[in-house]
Amino acid sequence: MQSKYKVRLLQINLLIAALLTAWQALYARHGVDAVILWLATLWLGVTASQAAAPYRRPVTLPWQLLPGLLLAALLWTSPQRHLAWLWAWAVLIMLPQPRWMILLNALLATVTWASLLELIGFEQWALSGILLALLMLLGLSRSQELRTLKRGIRYRARLLPTLPLWPAAQLHRDLEQERRRINEERSHGELMLIRARRFGSWGLAGNLCRQLRPFERCYRLDRLTLGLILISPDAQSAALRRQAVLRQLPERLAVRVVALDRLGSLDDECRRLKQASRATDGSEVHAHG
Amino acid sequence: MADRHSPASRLFPLMLVITAALLAGQALWFYLMGEYARILLPSVLSPVLLVAALMALARHHPSRLAPYLALACGYLLIAVELPRQAGVPLLWIGLPPVLAALLLPLGPAILLNLVLTPIWLALLGDDLLSRHSLAGYLTLVTLAALVPWEHLRQRALLRATDPRDDECPALTRDSLLEQLSGELERARLLDTPLAVLMLHLPQFDMIDEQFGTSARRTMLETLTRGVHAHRREHDVLGRVDESSFWLLLPNTSESAALLLRQQLNQSLSQVMLIETGPLQARTRLGLPRPSETADEFRQRLENATRSLAHG
Repeated sequence: MQSKYKVRLLQINLLIAALLTAWQALYARHGVDAVILWLATLWLGVTASQAAAPYRRPVTLPWQLLPGLLLAALLWTSPQRHLAWLWAWAVLIMLPQPRWMILLNALLATVTWASLLELIGFEQWALSGILLALLMLLGLSRSQELRTLKRGIRYRARLLPTLPLWPAAQLHRDLEQERRRINEERSHGELMLIRARRFGSWGLAGNLCRQLRPFERCYRLDRLTLGLILISPDAQSAALRRQAVLRQLPERLAVRVVALDRLGSLDDECRRLKQASRATDGSEVHAHG
Repeated sequence: MADRHSPASRLFPLMLVITAALLAGQALWFYLMGEYARILLPSVLSPVLLVAALMALARHHPSRLAPYLALACGYLLIAVELPRQAGVPLLWIGLPPVLAALLLPLGPAILLNLVLTPIWLALLGDDLLSRHSLAGYLTLVTLAALVPWEHLRQRALLRATDPRDDECPALTRDSLLEQLSGELERARLLDTPLAVLMLHLPQFDMIDEQFGTSARRTMLETLTRGVHAHRREHDVLGRVDESSFWLLLPNTSESAALLLRQQLNQSLSQVMLIETGPLQARTRLGLPRPSETADEFRQRLENATRSLAHG
């Protein structure tokens, strides 16, 4: 599964980069220089160990910020030694990242470039500035391709490969469809909303997905709320199915179950679930229908 | 998808033009400063870059040559700049790996960067700094390769999570098979009938060979549009192989499915394609047997689709 997402080679590349920065750190002349390079090594090493997780969830922001800050620090503290690294800004800006971080990196690039004026003389300084700006634009345009691709499928793609975990937009579509369908089939469908604990929602979603029958789906409504659509032949077997799912849940989670034919607005249900989880902080099941 | 790494279509030529203008400016500057020996290179490379810009602009056959041409120009300029003692060689040694990473696909970029390492270091020509410059250069090469890797990884992840085929609005094979076993189990649980309509496009290979990608896309889109007009919301259309589709019809009896098949055949035969005339589609119905597992049912459907393709 890993080779499918090109993870192994990425990891090797990260490790080689870590070795090279470590090599440079060993020969660094100043203490500060060495510290920055060791930090870079650490960053690359940890990223390599984390790269295997096939999650699409964004890496935590401070972690993504670090390379830009380290590069700026390196160019700031010993420009005469690491002059060549100025061009790395053009590649860094190519990474998929939020808009404000692009701006921040561009700002850092400008500042570090501007500080080189005395070191390299006006002619080279101006030339390198223009070139760097052009290259950064090129890098941005490259990252834009990926961004448009992502935007196109954001609302229809599953959140984890191979697991039936879908985004909230899919739930809205599926709810409409299932409501009509259970009418036609004379079956019983219900929506189960579960409020996960902080940091626990991905693990919980994985566990839930593995218990689902092949025609059931799990949805991630927001950072903490998960939804399931459970289909059963009648209300009696629906109760059994619900109990079976609840038994597998860890204790003390707020859960809300609503029959699809009685479901009003999804937002209201989510709000009530949130209130319930805040008020009781215990395993409360609110079943309707 | 991953190998289509050409830089964004409009920005790239524009930047080539800007760079060409800059080079012309530099040539003029050297002329005014009286440094006649340095005029030659920028004044030659400036028109070369303009040609590269024109090549990159050609919309239907975006040339792979344009990035290489731009890269070669960049390399020449750097190669001339590096040995100049008056300049700042340490600054310019960092440019080639980054340039290659930005302009080329990942594989060629890494290869070129590694192959050219001794040349750049020889041009740099300093004994004192050589170990340090080598480490710096190699680090930059590996770091510059990381970002394209990340792009590739994210693309692969997107493809693995996207249930839709990338050529037409139908499910991919994997998603379709997953839905099939889901629908079969649901039909068993709720005791409802399930039918699967297989469709095959006999003209597909011929169209693809003779008329190319756009004609093939038109054909796929015509078919999917035709099917979508007849299907209910929860009927699932997916692409099993290049030229065959399955339409899953939950809660549909055999007679209703046959009726749908007839309607679909009729409406598809009225569709005209520019290249081949009427759209031909072979169809066949598959129903699960009571004791069959999902895997056996899928196997049987695949065999039936194959025999449909062979006529």
